[in-house]
Amino acid sequence: MENGEHNNQTADGNGNGIIVIKNLTKKFGDNIVLDNISLSIEKGKTTVVIGPSGCGKTVLIKNFIVLLRPSSGEIYFKNKRIDNLPERELNTIRIHYGFLFQGGALFDSLSVAENIMFPIRQHYNTTDWGHVEDVIKTKLAMVGLDGFQNYYPANLSGGQKKRVALARAIALNPEVILYDEPTTGLDPIRADIINELVLKLQRELGATTVVVTHDMTSAYKIADRIIMLHNGKIIADGDAEHIRNHPHPVVQQFITGQVSEDDLAVLRASGSVAKAQFLPRDFKE
Amino acid sequence: MIGAIGANTVEDVSDIGRFGRFAWRAIKACGWSIGRTATYPLIWVQMNIIGVRSVPIVMITGAFVGMILAVQAYDQLAGMGLEEHLGVLINISVVKELGPVLTAVMLAGRVGGALTAELGTMNVTEQIDAVRSMGTDPVKYLVAPRLLACLFLTPVLIIYADLLGVLGGYFIGVIQLGINSQGYWDFSAYGVDMWDVAVGVIKGFFFGAAIAVISCYKGFTCKEGAHGVGQACTEAFVTSFMAILALDFALAVVFKAIYNTFWPMKSLVG
Ligand SMILES: Nc1ncnc2c1ncn2[C@@H]1O[C@H](COP(=O)(O)OP(=O)(O)O)[C@@H](O)[C@H]1O
Ligand SMILES: [Mg+2]
Repeated sequence: MENGEHNNQTADGNGNGIIVIKNLTKKFGDNIVLDNISLSIEKGKTTVVIGPSGCGKTVLIKNFIVLLRPSSGEIYFKNKRIDNLPERELNTIRIHYGFLFQGGALFDSLSVAENIMFPIRQHYNTTDWGHVEDVIKTKLAMVGLDGFQNYYPANLSGGQKKRVALARAIALNPEVILYDEPTTGLDPIRADIINELVLKLQRELGATTVVVTHDMTSAYKIADRIIMLHNGKIIADGDAEHIRNHPHPVVQQFITGQVSEDDLAVLRASGSVAKAQFLPRDFKE
Repeated sequence: MIGAIGANTVEDVSDIGRFGRFAWRAIKACGWSIGRTATYPLIWVQMNIIGVRSVPIVMITGAFVGMILAVQAYDQLAGMGLEEHLGVLINISVVKELGPVLTAVMLAGRVGGALTAELGTMNVTEQIDAVRSMGTDPVKYLVAPRLLACLFLTPVLIIYADLLGVLGGYFIGVIQLGINSQGYWDFSAYGVDMWDVAVGVIKGFFFGAAIAVISCYKGFTCKEGAHGVGQACTEAFVTSFMAILALDFALAVVFKAIYNTFWPMKSLVG
């Protein structure tokens, strides 16, 4: 807020956000990853969090469902404070969420169908296996992978794993879907398939969507709102247009993919690469 | 320097606290799991992985222990003309100490290492977070079945090791070295009673639980990367090994006290 980013921020809790974060700080030892962040995620919208690798995007969305506990600050889901709940009560909150992990985090020892069945079996005492099979089929069809029920994660490509993981994340028709770098490591075509999927799921499930990414193409395509993290703070917050025209030099460097003058200076100062090469043992000048 | 040691100690103490909480959660989860038949298939799977595949290695260990004891002890006993006492010496060592402890050490290496590697890999690939994100307690889903499988099967594997140890001793003592078979077994039956066998088997419950809880804990707290998983496996084995020895000592003291309370005469006669 020091940068005049007031859009949509409801640190004072005006209650229309489905997820509300107040003064969240997260430290690991002396490493302050998130520094007094306040944020409100609007229901039904797609919010994209951008920022360079290691800036704390994953830590931020793991705090949303209290997979990590804040060092200080408060987290609300539907106006209920959740950061101080015991794990057992959190489990009843978490079934309203779908979380797509960066690497998919599919269970290696379970088949695709069993992976998607996992949350269903954990939370419903169903014996109607025909119905469960139908649900699995529908979810896999949504991500374009019907027919892969009996595959194991080891036999899937990176993009397929992410799509199966997505099918698992939406198995219980969550109200909120959190995506951790859904397009990272995919080729542009497969990345765009994921973008379309994110949009489609948002349309069909009406889910509130939060996407963490450093892929600007993806961000522009899916976002209603873009938030940029830098040094543990939110330095930009607004729609795609607002971000494109943002005056902050760090934002401009990031969205245009340009290295800063400081980093360039370091590169220049490090001297010639050729000089640093090793010479053969028998080299004589 | 002193500050560094101090910081390290604080770290270790809080680590013990975390381990204690983890162990307590694991034990509660086991109780929960036993009450729910839906979790039995998970336990069954782990029993196959942990128990069945350990049988050959445990039996080979047992057999060698019996044979080695026979070879080592024979000359000394024969020198005093007491070679028929070989049976009692071998059998009591095997069922009370060497069978349980060596079986446990084998399992700490074979099963503990595999548990830590599996759970550690699940941890660094966010699979444990995935379990939590879907509203399931990973201690109930991942730790309880493994702990129960170790708890039930370590005593069974110890019985296998005992049997093979006794047979190994018999093979060397009676068949190879020609001790009178009748005398060998008579002395064994006189010197080894059910209590001794029971002590060894009961130790198995404690050893199994310790191996499982330590290995799962190391997996759950493992640091990122292949290096982290490897380090966690090493630590799991070393810690399990120390725990087995410490428990063995503590249980020896406890069992001795129990024995002396209930059968005070026997130790005078025997
Ligand atoms: N469990 C953890 N323990 C210690 N440090 C962590 C942990 N998780 C993340 N960090 C640190 O937090 C910072 C942000 O990590 P992360 O949120 O994964 O970044 P990214 O924006 O790439 O997702 C990094 O410096 C990382 O080292
Ligand atoms: Mg990340």
